[in-house]
Amino acid sequence: MANGAQHMVDSIFLAVSVLTIGSAIAALEIRSLIYGSIALMITLSGIAGFFLLLDAPFVAMFQLSVYVGSIAVLILFTVMLVRRELIFNKIEDSRRRYAGIGLMIIIMLGIGTIIIGSGLKTMETNTQTIDYRKIGEDFLTYYSPALIVMALILSSSVIGALALAKREDVTNEQRTD
Amino acid sequence: MSTIAPEFRLSRFIASLTDIIFWVLLIFSLVGLPLVFILLFYIKLPIVNGQLLTPYLAMTWMADPSRTIPIIKSLIHTEFFRIIAFPGFGFAALLAAATIFVERKFLAKIQLRVGPLYCGKIEGILQLMGDGLKLISKEIIIPAKADKPIFWVAPLLFVGTAAAFASLIPVAPGWVVSNPNVGLLVVFATIGFFPIIVVLSSWSANSKWTFIGGIRALHQMISFEIPLILSLLGIVILTGTLNLTEIVESQQHYWWIVFMPIGAIVFFITILAELERIPFDLPEAESEIVAGWLTEFSGMMYGLIQLGTYLKLYAFAGLFTVLFLGGWNGPMVWPPFPQEIITNGITIGPITAHIPGLPLFDQDMLNGTLWFVIKTVGVILVILLPRGVFPRIRIDLLLYTGWYKLIGLAFINIFIALGLLYAGVLGHGGLIQ
Repeated sequence: MANGAQHMVDSIFLAVSVLTIGSAIAALEIRSLIYGSIALMITLSGIAGFFLLLDAPFVAMFQLSVYVGSIAVLILFTVMLVRRELIFNKIEDSRRRYAGIGLMIIIMLGIGTIIIGSGLKTMETNTQTIDYRKIGEDFLTYYSPALIVMALILSSSVIGALALAKREDVTNEQRTD
Repeated sequence: MSTIAPEFRLSRFIASLTDIIFWVLLIFSLVGLPLVFILLFYIKLPIVNGQLLTPYLAMTWMADPSRTIPIIKSLIHTEFFRIIAFPGFGFAALLAAATIFVERKFLAKIQLRVGPLYCGKIEGILQLMGDGLKLISKEIIIPAKADKPIFWVAPLLFVGTAAAFASLIPVAPGWVVSNPNVGLLVVFATIGFFPIIVVLSSWSANSKWTFIGGIRALHQMISFEIPLILSLLGIVILTGTLNLTEIVESQQHYWWIVFMPIGAIVFFITILAELERIPFDLPEAESEIVAGWLTEFSGMMYGLIQLGTYLKLYAFAGLFTVLFLGGWNGPMVWPPFPQEIITNGITIGPITAHIPGLPLFDQDMLNGTLWFVIKTVGVILVILLPRGVFPRIRIDLLLYTGWYKLIGLAFINIFIALGLLYAGVLGHGGLIQ
């Protein structure tokens, strides 16, 4: 029975991997920018699928609502408002492409050897799923300095964005009452 | 009165029906029955309870209630029934369809009009069926230069996302299609898909009206998602869970609207904006941009979008009920199933029928469903109400409301929740359990 469940998870993992990598390649290669951003959305959703397979639904749902629900929408919105002829001039060069593929393979092999050599094999795989309440507790107790630093970085970046977006030369003539 | 078919005669209509029935029977008895018998000749029939399961025996069992009710009962407890019928799509679509009709009559009564009147003779009760038939029979028109794949798939995605949202709502104790541990986060993730679908469909139609409407919808939905999420954090802080069923169970003695009225008000306003209802119906402002992002949809594609919109309405109203109004909790008003039917059977004259498997649903479930439906219908009516009285507001006022006032109020609500928690009034180990 457990063996069957294992096979099920393996096949889902394969399907999600094919979907994620395939749509990532499509996002790079498709000429239409809209379809490219849709493919990017599928890639990001596929990563959420990996998190679900790893028994981390909390992270998966944030992946969906932040990356697909906000960032991909932002990309889509920007793409819709630009005319791509004006910003891109095509450089078709097969040598660049092969060089890129070669570079990717070298990097992946390097990362792969590091991961395999890092004692990942000795990791426990059948441990209990960690509840999100436990994550919250850890964040507020052991990792609280890290949480405060993250909060400060995020709020300073929000304030910076507001300061950059606020333009002195544009007067707001619309009534706000 | 009818000008659609002036040559219509009821006698001819009935004659054509009998004609069709005659031909169907003839073809079935000449072709269908021999085919069935040829098939039965080759199929090895099983032996059940020492009897050969002939088609006649199977039909006898199907007509016998004492044998069918256990089958129905086991069907009710399958996952399939949950997804298709009861807490899932069928139930939600039924409520959604009823909402479409009630909305028209309700608004008409508010504005001293009559609303749908002729279809079905009595107060126009068949109007919805008539509209459905019209939508099905209409031609689907794809605009020239439209991006066809996205344009075709957008209505389906919209209905699918709305149904996924509706499937997360717990209706009665244990009656929910999908009960993830992080239910509220799944709700947020599902809501996040609506702007994508809207903006993609509006772009794919290649029309300026749809695109303006889509951009407006994007602005509105994205900016109101933030107060929506923030207004619900108070409940998460007080209950300490994200699971919707556990949130309902935490409201057995009091509803969260008692302690967090500000959060409820903010959530209600964001519901109106997410649903694009008046006064926030800028994405489909019919007096400015034809029909907004729905302009180019025709026929059943428009019907699907409409179904999705009202499914979304039901889901949001159900979410409000679950989070603030106590979900299925309520006094037990449903009468218990009569015990003598279970023990003695039903006696009609000389015959006594013993029907095993009754009752089909337990009393808790029926009572819970009753209270959930009453509360949800109430919330739906309150969501419909502003359409009768309010005008549409400007988009800058909308964004101002969303980004300044609602987010500020949502933070006040979070501080109220934190205060109640740290003062020891509510929450784990508080005064009120």
